[in-house]
Amino acid sequence: MANLNEADLRLFVDSIKNYLRVTTRQEPHITSAFLGTGDIQGFEFNGIVTFSGDYNGQVIVSMPPRLLRELLLLQHETDMSDGNLLDAVGEIANTLAGNARKTLGNGLDISVPVKIQGATGVKSRVRKHPFVITLRWNHHEAMVCVDIERKH
Amino acid sequence: MRLLIVDDSNMIRTRISRVVQSGGLKDIAVVGLAKNGLEAVRIARVARPDVVTMDLTMPEMDGIECIAALLKLDATVNILVVSALSDKSTAIAALKMGARGFVAKPFTDEELQIALLEVSEPR
Repeated sequence: MANLNEADLRLFVDSIKNYLRVTTRQEPHITSAFLGTGDIQGFEFNGIVTFSGDYNGQVIVSMPPRLLRELLLLQHETDMSDGNLLDAVGEIANTLAGNARKTLGNGLDISVPVKIQGATGVKSRVRKHPFVITLRWNHHEAMVCVDIERKH
Repeated sequence: MRLLIVDDSNMIRTRISRVVQSGGLKDIAVVGLAKNGLEAVRIARVARPDVVTMDLTMPEMDGIECIAALLKLDATVNILVVSALSDKSTAIAALKMGARGFVAKPFTDEELQIALLEVSEPR
């Protein structure tokens, strides 16, 4: 197993910036990007996509409900139910994971997103040292947690 | 033109539907929304779409399988893949399967409108 280097992981920073810029015309501010410990506090809504094929791991997008509501409002969505907020965060995780194939190659297989409500959704899932990206978009904090390693 | 939207995300289904209804694509009417490939095939049998927007990563039946199933049902259906799997080889695989266009997620309303107009044009 081999860990990805900083340049490989940079793609997830670019990817979340691009996602919010394209869908909301408002780029997020990346507040930090660091190698985390297992003790990671997430937000209430979590979208998780598992990697397989040439890679092991997962990407977790963790966002508070207010951010997701604003994001849906900007897309003229009227259904603000918890189910729809979970759908949105799952779709964001799916997009980041799918876009990663551009850089990591088509040996990266991705699952359909799993959606979890509850701030402990990140902590219980990541291994020892995931790559953590924290960001602020429209005054709301959010997090992307990338826990990925190459098999060969 | 009759459009079927296939995506496991409600957010994306609603967004594509809104772009079509409010984006000056007056000749296109949404005739169905499906959250996976199996549902898409069931709806297509009844609704007979001319155009389909197709996600690739979905539960039950994925987009590649669904493209094959829809083309078997109607070889003239125009399929636009709308997927986060934005690498070249995935796009080529989808086009080889018979899709007519590819839009990478995330997309702007304008990108989707242009792509829908292009795939809707007569062959």
